[in-house]
Amino acid sequence: MDAGALKNEALGAIEAASTPGELDELRVRYLGRKSELKQALRAVRDRETGMALNEARVAIEDAVDVRQSSLERAELDRNLTQDVVDVTLPGEELPLGGLHPITQVRRIVEDAFLGLGYEVRDDREVETVEYNFDKLAFAPTHSARSSRDTFFFDDTHVLRTETSPSQIHVLEEKAPPIYMVSIGRVYRRDAITATRYPIFHQFEGLAVDKSLTLADLKGTLLHVMRALYGPERRVRFRTHFFPFTEPSIEPDVSCGICGGEGCRTCKYSGWIEMGGAGMVDPRVFENVGLDPEEWSGFAFGCGLERAAQLRHDVPDIRVLWEGDLRALRQF
Amino acid sequence: MRVPVAWLRDYVPLEMPLDDLATRLSVSSAEVEGIERRGVPDQDGNLSRFLVGRVLEASKHPNADRLQLCVVDVGEGEPRQIVCGAWNFGAGATVAVALPGAVLADGLELEQRKVRGELSNGMILAEDEVALGTDHTGIMLLDEILEPGTPLADVLPIVDDVLLVEATGNRPDLLAIYGIAREVAALYDLELAPPAGVNPERTGDEGIDVQIEDYDGCPRYIGRLFRDVAIGPSPVWLKARLHAAGMRPISNVVDATNYAMLALGNPLHAFDFAVLRDGRIVVRRARPGEKLRTLDGVDRRLTPDDLLIADAERAVALAGIMGGEDSEIGESTTDVLLEAANFEPFTIFRSSERLRLRTEGSNRWEKGVDPYLAAPAATLATQLIVELAGARWVGDTDIQGDLPERPVIQFSPDRADRLIGIETSAEEQHAILGKLGFEVEGERVLVPTWRARDVTREVDVTEEVARFRLEDVPFTLPERRAMFGTLTREQQLRRRVEDVLVGLGFVESYTPSMLPDDETTWKLSEPITIELTALRTRLLPSLVEAARRNAEVGSRRVALFEIARVYLPAGELPDERLRVGGVAEGGFAYVKGVVETLYSALKAEPVFELTKDLLFHPGKLARTAAGPLGELHPSLLEGTWSAFELDLSTLLEASREPVTYVDVITFPPVRQDLAFAVLEEVAAGDLIDAAREAAGAELREMRPFDVYRGNQVAEGKKSIAFSVSFQSHERTLSDEDASGLREKIVEALARRFGAELRA
Repeated sequence: MDAGALKNEALGAIEAASTPGELDELRVRYLGRKSELKQALRAVRDRETGMALNEARVAIEDAVDVRQSSLERAELDRNLTQDVVDVTLPGEELPLGGLHPITQVRRIVEDAFLGLGYEVRDDREVETVEYNFDKLAFAPTHSARSSRDTFFFDDTHVLRTETSPSQIHVLEEKAPPIYMVSIGRVYRRDAITATRYPIFHQFEGLAVDKSLTLADLKGTLLHVMRALYGPERRVRFRTHFFPFTEPSIEPDVSCGICGGEGCRTCKYSGWIEMGGAGMVDPRVFENVGLDPEEWSGFAFGCGLERAAQLRHDVPDIRVLWEGDLRALRQF
Repeated sequence: MRVPVAWLRDYVPLEMPLDDLATRLSVSSAEVEGIERRGVPDQDGNLSRFLVGRVLEASKHPNADRLQLCVVDVGEGEPRQIVCGAWNFGAGATVAVALPGAVLADGLELEQRKVRGELSNGMILAEDEVALGTDHTGIMLLDEILEPGTPLADVLPIVDDVLLVEATGNRPDLLAIYGIAREVAALYDLELAPPAGVNPERTGDEGIDVQIEDYDGCPRYIGRLFRDVAIGPSPVWLKARLHAAGMRPISNVVDATNYAMLALGNPLHAFDFAVLRDGRIVVRRARPGEKLRTLDGVDRRLTPDDLLIADAERAVALAGIMGGEDSEIGESTTDVLLEAANFEPFTIFRSSERLRLRTEGSNRWEKGVDPYLAAPAATLATQLIVELAGARWVGDTDIQGDLPERPVIQFSPDRADRLIGIETSAEEQHAILGKLGFEVEGERVLVPTWRARDVTREVDVTEEVARFRLEDVPFTLPERRAMFGTLTREQQLRRRVEDVLVGLGFVESYTPSMLPDDETTWKLSEPITIELTALRTRLLPSLVEAARRNAEVGSRRVALFEIARVYLPAGELPDERLRVGGVAEGGFAYVKGVVETLYSALKAEPVFELTKDLLFHPGKLARTAAGPLGELHPSLLEGTWSAFELDLSTLLEASREPVTYVDVITFPPVRQDLAFAVLEEVAAGDLIDAAREAAGAELREMRPFDVYRGNQVAEGKKSIAFSVSFQSHERTLSDEDASGLREKIVEALARRFGAELRA
C-alpha cells in the first residue's frame, strides 16, 4: 500500500471532521485494530516500509489529537455562549464604609504640610484662659473673652476658641526652628444654623525661624490652598487684625463655583474667605521667653468645615454633624 | 459700619469705580462685605422724572374726603394737577414730585391716571417711596429756597450706594465715615476735607457744673449747654443719611448726636437739662445696688464696676452705653446738655458684657475712641443743634484728666522690608505713613491720636506699610535650615484604624463633644442648648443616637464609627483621650471579629476578658485592655446591634510593629482536629491557654471551629472541636513529635478541666 497516499487521505478527512462522532469514526477507520494501516503494520517485513507506515501513523494520531482538542474547544465555546448573565444586574453587595469629609480634608492638609516639612500635632481642647487668651495677647476687652462668644466652665477654663493655643504649647515645649500644624476641634458659642455650628475644626500652622517674611507666609498659604482646592486657584490677602499676629492678614481663595466672576457661593465677590494669618506678634515671643529680635515667624488658621463644604458643595453645615448615612455614604 | 457713598463724598472726591474702591479698601483697610444699591433705579433717564415742585393750590378732592387736589409747579411753565393722600402741607409747600413714567424705589412705574374722576399727573413723594426713610404718614417737605424744577437727585440722595464695611477691632477710627474717607484719600492719594463742623457763635456764658470722680474711667468730659431748643423732626436730608447708615431718626437733637457719631466716630449723648438736679453732672462709679431705668425701659441694677453719669442725686445715664429714661430728650425739652466725653474701654466692655447691653456707643468705646475726637464731635453736633433746633448755645466746659501723649516710635524702613519680604523705598514708606496722618522725623515716627492705641511698636508701623503693599508682596517659601515632617507612629496607626474600619463597611461619623448630661464635673456654665452641656466621657451614647436616627429613616447595614476625644475628669484639666467607637447591626461574634481584625491590622493580639457595662447586653460583653465590645443592651435599639469603644493609644501601644519574620514555609505543619467534651461553664479560651502552656511554641495554631451539644455528649456538657496545627521552624515534625504534643495537650486539659478527648 501507499503510506503517503493513505496519510494524505486520512489527514484530509480528519481536517474535515466536524463533530467528535465523525472524528471517532475516522480514528477507528484509520487507526483501529482492523484499519488498513494497522494491518499493514502487522504485515510489514522491511524496515523502509515500516518507517513510512509508522510516520503515517504518528502523523494521523497527532492530527486526530489536534482536531479533537479544537472540536472540544469549539463545543465548550458553543456551550458558553448559552451560559449568559445579565451584566446589568448589580454585583455582590460588599461592605465598604467611608471617611468623613472632614477627615478627608484633614489628611489633605496633613499631607500638604508634611511635604513642606511640618510636624502634625494636636493639643488639648479644654484650655485655661491663660493659654487661650492671655499668652496670645488678647486685649482685656477683646470680644472673644466674653461668655457670649466663648464656652466657659468657670472663670479660668474655656473650650478653646481656636487652635492657636497650640502655638504657645509648641513654643514652650521646644526651641525653634519650628514648623508645625495643629489640627482639631474648636468651639464658639454660636447657635446652630445652616452656616454655623458651635463645634468645628481648624488647622493652625506655625513657623518660627530666623528671618521669615510675610512673603513666606503668602507662599505657604498659596501652596496649601492649591492642595485643598486645585492648582488653578488664585489666592489673595486682605489686611486684618488678630491679637497674636502683626501684621495680620486674611487669605481669600478664588471661588471655584464661578471661577471668580461672582456667584451665590462667594456672595458675588469672586473670593471666599479662608481664615486668618499673620506674622507672629513680638508679644507672643515675649510671653514664651523668646527674643523677638532673634526670631521671626508666621501663623495661620483655617476651618476644615469650610473646606469640606466647598469641596463637596454642601450648603448646610449640619449635614456634617448629623451622622446620616444617606449623606455620608456620598463622600 | 454702613457707609453711604453720598456722605463719603462730603469728605473725599470719589472718581473711581465703586467695585475698585471696595476691593482696595478690603485689601488694605477694612473688608467691604458688600455694596448695597439704594433708592430709585438710575437708568433710562429715570432720575429726570424726579423734580422739586412747589404747591400752588391745594384743596379737598371734590369726590373724596381723604384726598387733596393739588396744582404743583415743577418748573415746566404749565403746572400739573396731582392728587395726593397726605394732609401735612398746603399751598406754598416745597415738595418732591415724581412724573408719570418714573420708577419708584419699590420698582413700580408711575402712570398718569384718574383718581376718583380727577386726573393725577404725577405724585408728591413720601420718603419711603424713594427709600430715604420708612415714614409714610406724610409727604416730604423740602427747604423752601429750592427752585421748582430742580432735579431731586441734586438735593436728596434718591440714588445712593452703601458700602458695608466690617472694621476690625483695632480700628475704631474706621467706625466713622470720616475715618473711611481718610483711608480712601490715602489709598488713592486724594485730598481729604477737614472734619465736618464749625462752631457757631456762642450766645451766652453759663457755667456748667461737671465733676469727674473717676478720671481712669472718664479722662475727658465736654459739656455744652443749649437753651430755647425746639425739638422736632430732622430735615429730610439728615433723616435720609441716618436711614442709609442704618439708624432710626428720632428728633433733631438726638439725630444731631447720632449724625456726629457716624461722621466722626465719637458717641455723644444729649440730656434734658431741666431734669438734671442742681444742673450738675457727676461722672462716678455706681453705688452697690444703685438702679437706673435706661432708655429701653429696662430697670438696671448696677454695681461699682459700672461707670455712671449722675446728677446731684441720682444716676441719669450708664456712661457710654445708654442714657436714662428720666433725662431723655422729649418733645417738650427746651434746655439740652450735650455730652461729648471719652470713656475707658475696659469699663464699658465689662458693664456692657454684664448687662448684656450692646449699643452703637458701647461698640465704639470698648474698642478705644481717640480722646482728642471729643472736641470736633462736639463742634459738629453743636452746629447741627443750633441750625436744626433753632437753639442758643450758651455754655461750654471741657474737663480733662491726663490725656495720652502721641506715641513716638523708632522705625527703620530696612527692618520693615525684612519682615515684609519686599523692598519698598524709604521715601515710599514715609509717603504711605504721611498720608495716614503719621509724622516722620528721621527715624522717629509720631503716631496720630486716632491710632495711638493700636500703633505703639515698630512692628505696628510696619503693618501700615505692609497693608498698602500687600498685593505686591511675592509668594515665597521659607529657606528652612532644619525640620522635616513625618506623621508620628500614633498618627500613622490612627489612619490605619480609620482605613480598616472603612474596609469593614463602617462609615465615619462626627458627633458633638458634649452630651445633655454625663458623669463629669466638666459642664458648661452657659450652654447654648441643653443637648450640648456636659463634656462627654464616652463616645457610644452619641453614636447610638446616630444609629437610631439612621435606622428610623430606613438606612440598611448601618455601621458607624468615630475617632474623637472623651474628657475624663482628672485634676485641673480633664484627661482628653482619643477613642475609636463603633456601632453596627450584628451580634457579638460580628463585633468581636471587627475588634480582632483591628488588632490584627495593628499587628497586635487582643486579650478578651469579662466586664460589666450598662450600655451592653450583660451576657454578650467583653473587654480588651483598650475597652469594651459586645452586643448593645436591647433596650437601646431595636434588633441586634453591637458596639465597641476602644482607647486609641492603648490600642496602638499593643501594636508589635514592625513584626519579626517567622519561617513557616521551610518545615511543613502537622494538622489535626481535636474535640473535647467539657462542662458547659468551661470557656474555649481557657482551654486554648492551657494547651499553649502545655505544648509550648510548637503549637502553632489552635482554633475552635465547632461547638456541639446533644446526644453524643453527656447532659450539662458540650463538645468543642479545634483545628490544631503543630509546627517547628527548625525541623520537620515527625508523627511521633505530633502525637507527643497532642498527648501533652490531652493530658493537661483532662487534668485541669476534666476534658475528655472525643476524636
